[in-house]
Amino acid sequence: MKYMLLLHEPDTDWTAVPQEELDKALNAHGEFVQYLTERGRPFYGDALRPSYTATTLRPKGDEVLVTDGPYVELKEHIGGFYVIEADTLDEAIEVAKRVPIGSGVEIRPIWGA
Amino acid sequence: MTFPELERAHRREWAAVLAATMRLTRDFDAAEDAVQEAFEAAVVAWPKDGVPPNPVGWLTTTAKRKALDRMRRADALTRKLPLLVVPDDDPQVIQDHRLRLIFMCCHPALAMNARVALTLRLVCGLPTGEVARLFLVPHATMAARLTTAKKKIRAAGIPFHVPDDLATRLPAVLAVVYLVYTAGSTDRAVELAELLGSLLPEPEVLGLLALIRLTEARAPARSRDGEPVPLAAQDRSRWDRAAIDDALPLVAKALRGGGPYALQAAIAAVHAEAPAYAATDWPQILALYDELVAVYPSATAALGRAVALAEIHGPAAGLAEADRLSAELGHYYLLPAARAEFLRALGRVAEAAEADRQAARLAPTAAETEFFATRAGAVDSPTPP
Repeated sequence: MKYMLLLHEPDTDWTAVPQEELDKALNAHGEFVQYLTERGRPFYGDALRPSYTATTLRPKGDEVLVTDGPYVELKEHIGGFYVIEADTLDEAIEVAKRVPIGSGVEIRPIWGA
Repeated sequence: MTFPELERAHRREWAAVLAATMRLTRDFDAAEDAVQEAFEAAVVAWPKDGVPPNPVGWLTTTAKRKALDRMRRADALTRKLPLLVVPDDDPQVIQDHRLRLIFMCCHPALAMNARVALTLRLVCGLPTGEVARLFLVPHATMAARLTTAKKKIRAAGIPFHVPDDLATRLPAVLAVVYLVYTAGSTDRAVELAELLGSLLPEPEVLGLLALIRLTEARAPARSRDGEPVPLAAQDRSRWDRAAIDDALPLVAKALRGGGPYALQAAIAAVHAEAPAYAATDWPQILALYDELVAVYPSATAALGRAVALAEIHGPAAGLAEADRLSAELGHYYLLPAARAEFLRALGRVAEAAEADRQAARLAPTAAETEFFATRAGAVDSPTPP
């Protein structure tokens, strides 16, 4: 099965943080990617730009309204994601425990995978 | 179902038959339907032909045939299913399946109330209507809750296996069994705990089993005419001595693990062994509560410790401890209840009555509200000598 790991984090503009902090975050994800690679576990993932860059479409009658900002305004946002392959939820949980954790990691099975 | 052998098989073997059938169907609803049909077939066959020598094997084989029939009917052309059902009556395999079913139903990725409901429905074989009654919700609500939980198991890939890291997953299973017990399904909780004890004799499993048995053994004295009777006033001749003696060796085994259920069982055992309230070994109880508070801090443990302190060092010590706890446990009704007892023992009757009124306001059941309200009133008015 395929699972998406949604990384909920305090909204961060990574272009504005000190180099040291950025390196720390990149290294943490580097270690996780290495963990996945060493075990031959197929994955895909990326970081998302901060929430002020987000654009949300909402239905308004027959039209679509284009609005600025994320769908939900919270202190935390989805800062990135991974899509991993795992046979069971227990396996997915084992993998997800190794994701550098911000505020929380949500595990969602992907349809038909 | 009135045929006694069949009723026994239903209570004891439902989970085993369902678990084995699920291995074939990989689908709950199909497995449940097939198991139901197998039991219906037994209602007809057993009284006529006699009880088969291996009832579980008979039921499992029948359920699998029924499931296969359905699967073939549903998908006759595309599925190449084995035409023969291999009898699945190896006891080891059956036990293993049952344990898998329990761990699946008690998976931490499911909401707690869904875990308890699934366990009652799938492991104990309780009809949905009875599960609904235990949770005090309408039948349709419970049916929907069970369906959602089963959908999550399928869609999220919650595995049908016994986890490798038993130590981290076992507490979730034990919590479910304990909740089944506190929800009022005593027989089912005892059966579940016994089943777990036989499949997985870990110290904490034995601790939970001992705790439930000891609590049950003392249950007849715990209320009189529907009203709760505090431990100090209980008629100890109404305790089930034989059941207590049976449970004590379990406590000894469980204590080797030093876990929270073992410690609670040990505390229950010390109470059960005391011939009278005044003869209770309080220093022993305090030592056990010290350990319990350390490994598993909880409101009941902290309060139990305060009561033990009061019994050893006097009511002032108990009151000081209760006051120290009031910041965290302010809304737990047994805290003001305990304060009331300490205050009354110190002769501070007006404050005791106020604490009892507070306990009455916070109490979860009408019977307990009544008990504390009455006690508050009795303190207010001068009592005859």
